[in-house]
Amino acid sequence: MEEDRQEVTAELGAPDAQRYLDNWRRAEADFENYKKRIELERAETARFASTTLILNILPVLDDLDRAFKSIPEKLAHLTWADGIRLIHRKLQATLEAQGVTEIKALGETFDPSIHEAVGQTAGEEGKVIEEAQKGYRLHGRVIRPAFVIVGNGERPERNETESATDSHDSGG
Amino acid sequence: MARAVGIDLGTTFSLIATMQGGDPVIIPTSEGERLLPSVVAVSKTGERLVGWLAKRQAVTNPENTIFSIKRLMGRKFKDPSVQFDMKKVPYKITEAPNGDCKVVMGGKEYSPPEISAMILQKLKTDAEAYLGEKVTDAVITVPAYFNDSQRQATKDAGAIAGLNVIRIINEPTASSLAYGLDKKKEAIVAVYDLGGGTFDVSVLEMGEGTFQVKSTSGDTHLGGDDFDQRILDWLCDEFKKQAGIDLRQDKMALQRVRDAAEKAKRELSTMQQTEISLPYITADASGPKHMNIVLNRSKMEQLVMELVDRSIGPCRQALQDAGLTPAQINEVLLVGGQTRTPLVQTKVTEFFGQEPKKTVNPDEAVALGAAIQGGVLKGEVREVLLLDVTPLTLGIETLGGVATPLIPRNTTIPTSKSQVFSTAADSQPSVEVHVIQGERPMAGDNKTLGRFILDGILPAPRGMPQIEVAFDIDANGILSVSAKDKGTGREQKITITASSGLSKEEVEKMTRDAEAHAADDTRKKEEIEARNTADNLVYQAEKVMREHGDKVPADLKQQIEGKIAAVRSALQGQDAAYIRRTVQELTETMQKIGASVYQQQPGAPPPGGQAPPGAEGPGPGKGKPDEGTVEGEFREV
Repeated sequence: MEEDRQEVTAELGAPDAQRYLDNWRRAEADFENYKKRIELERAETARFASTTLILNILPVLDDLDRAFKSIPEKLAHLTWADGIRLIHRKLQATLEAQGVTEIKALGETFDPSIHEAVGQTAGEEGKVIEEAQKGYRLHGRVIRPAFVIVGNGERPERNETESATDSHDSGG
Repeated sequence: MARAVGIDLGTTFSLIATMQGGDPVIIPTSEGERLLPSVVAVSKTGERLVGWLAKRQAVTNPENTIFSIKRLMGRKFKDPSVQFDMKKVPYKITEAPNGDCKVVMGGKEYSPPEISAMILQKLKTDAEAYLGEKVTDAVITVPAYFNDSQRQATKDAGAIAGLNVIRIINEPTASSLAYGLDKKKEAIVAVYDLGGGTFDVSVLEMGEGTFQVKSTSGDTHLGGDDFDQRILDWLCDEFKKQAGIDLRQDKMALQRVRDAAEKAKRELSTMQQTEISLPYITADASGPKHMNIVLNRSKMEQLVMELVDRSIGPCRQALQDAGLTPAQINEVLLVGGQTRTPLVQTKVTEFFGQEPKKTVNPDEAVALGAAIQGGVLKGEVREVLLLDVTPLTLGIETLGGVATPLIPRNTTIPTSKSQVFSTAADSQPSVEVHVIQGERPMAGDNKTLGRFILDGILPAPRGMPQIEVAFDIDANGILSVSAKDKGTGREQKITITASSGLSKEEVEKMTRDAEAHAADDTRKKEEIEARNTADNLVYQAEKVMREHGDKVPADLKQQIEGKIAAVRSALQGQDAAYIRRTVQELTETMQKIGASVYQQQPGAPPPGGQAPPGAEGPGPGKGKPDEGTVEGEFREV
């Protein structure tokens, strides 16, 4: 290697040789870094390959959540409804087994790294007063923030609650 | 000097890209997203938020969340455009002493470049974390219509973020670079850029790798968000007709419908029909209500037709300003996510009378092009290093005339590859390396680049010797092939000058010549080998007779002596075929020795120096074409 380099220097003149050597080193370094990054990315890709699929399944889980929130009193105690509850739980368990975890929202301090504010309402300032849609992590990474309604510091008064809240309360 | 990055500092989203192995790639943000919302905020607790986090908290903190700062860059407070935006944004815009505008965030005034700098800084920091090295040099893009003060403001933003802005380039120019148009000689290019919130159309004249903006037009308040809104409104209207409830009054429901509208729009880019299914979207006294509406592509096109039509006016304007007709445009490029909508593509095709190009991801084209520009600017230091590829597969011939590839086609050069082969016959004393080029599975169907012999292989059972064949192509495309006997260290090599840089005819001629010479060489080589084999065989036969002659029956002894004399006399002449024939006869006669000796001494070990070496050497095979081929071949170990 050392010999080669001297030979090159002699033939091309020092400035050229230095530039080539520099480019060579840079190319080698680039490649080394590239390899390292690709290795990391491959591991990441494998871990998060299911992200798109999970993101497309989550709305189904959301809908089931909503269905149970608004289940009529007279149906709630039927064993048939229990069956649907089991299906719901099974879907949750399947996703959990894939590394999906729920993000805590209700009553927490609003945190934009895991929550997305979709509205404000009366309640303790900066606290999550309501959860419009659950958020999820996959292997610890937020794949969908929780959609939340955040308190604006006003005291909750009967008529100030937004209509959005009403629609949700009606079922629960 | 560190690498350069390219930054698309957009109105709604920003992206950063860099050159990696000769190609531009987008660098994801720390959140793992390719896009970064161009949003900056100061939370109630005084924390500065940029990008996704700022966007997610915007609803709770609208007066301290700055978005669309690009619309204010380099503008005076009195500018009608600023006055227009002021009415639309929830944050406060104030007048600076010098007449520029400023925005208020967290009770403090900031200049637009300061806000942009926060976005740039986030991109820079995330890129540094991703690349594992410092990022300083950047190319930042601006709309073609940006004036000097807007460009200067962008440059200032870069400086505040700690970037060395090596160039500010126009977005349409960046797009053209992303499409590789700089490689063309001369062309008139129209770039149709319909993003999330703005629409720009530019006409560029390109020559000798430089781009000149001939004209530019657009609509600063037309984009994908308007498309979403049209679909959202329609869904709400439909639902009201069906269920009698106006979802616009229900913020949470509206959020779900908005997401569904955007998703439906995307799906209709590839599908003819989609179903917007939102169970339990709301409820009334009678119970829960579900939204289940089918939207097909033609309905969606009706909804957004007016928006798409609005983009054609500026296209006409841009052409008129450039003094051109649609027919004079050589290339039309589609940029911006909204150009994925088929209706947009149809309308653009109709207007320009040609298919637009849409091969580059439209969200990323600008950033990718900026990265290419960065690479070109760095290239002044780093040289333009053109890496060639091998156009055809290179390999060698192996057992049964099979072409075994060593370097597959399209491999970037310089490169090298080696593989270990072995002999095809017992005691095979030499191997022939037949270097071939081509894609055909049988060696005979491919082009011969050259051949050579590695001999001196010690007698060993077939498959034992390890012959390492190494191919090496240097940057000039010159191929060296070497074969090395790992046992003895013997090595042979051949150098074949590449076909690259030569005309097609020259390549063909060289190939023909090479083939012709290869055939001559083969003939010469075969004759010499026949002689060598004959010599060798006579030597072996005489040795056997000396050592074991007493055990050989007299009549056989006489026969062998006669055959040896025949080979000797054949060697006096030039007739290779005659040599081979006498060698063959002697070999067959020699084999009788073994039979008679073993009959005499049952159970005794076979004597050394018997006929087989001669029989298995390359010589005898020469007579028969198939065996002759086998001799030069390899078998993979």
